[in-house]
Amino acid sequence: MQRRIDHFLSGIAALILIVAGTNLVKAQNAGDLKFNEILVLNDSSSVDDFGVHTAWIEIFNSAYNTVNIGGCYLTDDLGNPTKYWIPTGDPATKISSRNYMVFWADDKPTRGIFHLNFHLKDAKTIALFDASGKTLIDKVELPADHKADVTYGRPTNESQNWVYLEKSTPGANNDYTKKKSAGESFVEMDPFGIGMTMIAMFVVFSALTILFIIYKNMGRFFIRKAIPKKEKMPVMVGNIAKDEEMSGEVNAAIALALYLYQSELHDEENTVLTIQKVSRNYSPWSSKIYTLRKSPR
Amino acid sequence: MGKFIDFIIEHLAQFLQFTAFANMTIGHVIMICVGLVFIYLAIAKEFEPMLLIPIGFGILIGNVAFAPGYQIGVYESGSVMNYLYFGVLQGIYPPLIFLGIGAMTDFSALISNPKLILIGAAAQLGIFGAYCIALALGFSPTEAGAIAIIGGADGPTAIFLSSKLAPELMGAIAIAAYSYMALVPVIQPPVMRLLTTPKERLIRMKPPRVVSKVEKVIFAIAGMLLTTFIVPSGLPLLGMLFFGNLLKESGVTKRLADTAKGPMIDIVTILIGLTVGASTQATTFLTVKSVGIFILGAFSFVIATFGGVMFVKIINLFLKEGNKMNPLIGNAGVSAVPDSARVSQVVGLEYDKTNHLLMHAMGPNVAGVIGSAVAAGILLSFLA
Repeated sequence: MQRRIDHFLSGIAALILIVAGTNLVKAQNAGDLKFNEILVLNDSSSVDDFGVHTAWIEIFNSAYNTVNIGGCYLTDDLGNPTKYWIPTGDPATKISSRNYMVFWADDKPTRGIFHLNFHLKDAKTIALFDASGKTLIDKVELPADHKADVTYGRPTNESQNWVYLEKSTPGANNDYTKKKSAGESFVEMDPFGIGMTMIAMFVVFSALTILFIIYKNMGRFFIRKAIPKKEKMPVMVGNIAKDEEMSGEVNAAIALALYLYQSELHDEENTVLTIQKVSRNYSPWSSKIYTLRKSPR
Repeated sequence: MGKFIDFIIEHLAQFLQFTAFANMTIGHVIMICVGLVFIYLAIAKEFEPMLLIPIGFGILIGNVAFAPGYQIGVYESGSVMNYLYFGVLQGIYPPLIFLGIGAMTDFSALISNPKLILIGAAAQLGIFGAYCIALALGFSPTEAGAIAIIGGADGPTAIFLSSKLAPELMGAIAIAAYSYMALVPVIQPPVMRLLTTPKERLIRMKPPRVVSKVEKVIFAIAGMLLTTFIVPSGLPLLGMLFFGNLLKESGVTKRLADTAKGPMIDIVTILIGLTVGASTQATTFLTVKSVGIFILGAFSFVIATFGGVMFVKIINLFLKEGNKMNPLIGNAGVSAVPDSARVSQVVGLEYDKTNHLLMHAMGPNVAGVIGSAVAAGILLSFLA
């Protein structure tokens, strides 16, 4: 039995490890970074910190924690994945949760860590590699027909498709349309809260019903375990044998009465069961040897 | 000399502008009176003194009027009270309180008679009944959700959820939740009497069986996994509740359990009570919305009691004679631990001096804690 339990527990542990392993790809680290918006031809759009109109690349941190992009590589040539190394140790390279970072593709790396050592004019692909320079985090194939001041990006943060965007939004969400909150959307369909009440009560009942079912059966298991095996059980007669849910107090009283009867320690006084003091000088009940522990020294 | 006297008078007048007397409004006076009532109820009537004293005194602190800009008030960045309030705003304190509650709760009654768990689910009707009424009164969905949780009768849960859904209403919601929890012995008995027949009130329930340590340990682990797998957004509360319970039931982490249910929960209770009280500054608290919140809170407690009692009556229709439950324990599904269970006991004894319902009522009572945390998780996942 013990071996079976051990095997069962090992199986569960293995299952958890497998599930955890398959979810590792979702771990919140540099792997959560992705390209979000790119402007190849910047004639009159946003300017960099030197006041120059230049091409830019926006990276989005899709994780719910801060990710440091320092140490990663940006490139426009998959044959040279370590083309631009993003310096480490700079607090500016930390991208906070669900936030954006813009790099200027002006081939002027001396202007700061956000200025890359390549242009986008002739680039066909841009890619982001992790600190090893070998693992690709994200890449984008750039189309050939770029229009001036029109950005190419994901319409929403979660989108996998890339399209030309109506409005350039460096360092901000590409989806600038007014959004309803989750609550507003919910109430639009359920203005009186009836749906919410039904769903929520169903979920609360489901959660607690599962607990109920498990504990109902677990209780049966433990009660069965607590009852001695058949061969060791005394023969019981009448209704007592059927009454499995007899309380502990009743069992204890019956056991005590049987013990007293068998040991002939009982006495009768006006038909009331009593425990009288034994008129002996010594009794284990009054002995200090049996009732006290030795004092610590 | 005259110049010097002018200087003194001018600065005295300037100083007077900084005193609470100069900045006092009628709202501050009203709120100070509310704080004093809380303290009176706590000391003279012993209504939830552990909560009402810190909250009542917090209300006094929060309503000493001051000139803004000196980093004094709870809403001023950088003030001491603001730092302490951070734990409320970010929902840090409620899970810590749940840790302590878990470490001091004995789930034996629930484990020995698992059908009592379902009463804890039925009583959550109060939350969603209040949600519907709040929507009808014109509260926004997030506000309605935050207000509705008052019906869960669980202070930490109410603070946790309102800090996420409607932080601006948190003070009023917390005060309403704790006030009505203190008033459970007043609110619930009339509803219980109204919904039950004299015969039902005399139902005797089987004594709970002895629960082994293994069962209690499994309960803590399985309870956490099952409830949070269904409602992961309840993880901060449910995770801490069951973790605290495991510390207690494992039997090998007595020191940790003692700390969780002793000094730690005391410290957090002081901080949460004081800062929630202080957040009720008259300028932000005395609004029509606050009045609406208090009215809705009372309704939610009544609906929750109704849900619990009626559920027991319905379940009794399907139970054999001898297995029936006394509907007077239905109110205990409202998770004001242990007040609502105590109400079951007191009302039960009114009709049969030997029918003690406390042990049975503790089952739905602790199930109510789990149920309200699950309900909070549902509201959070739909409305946040």
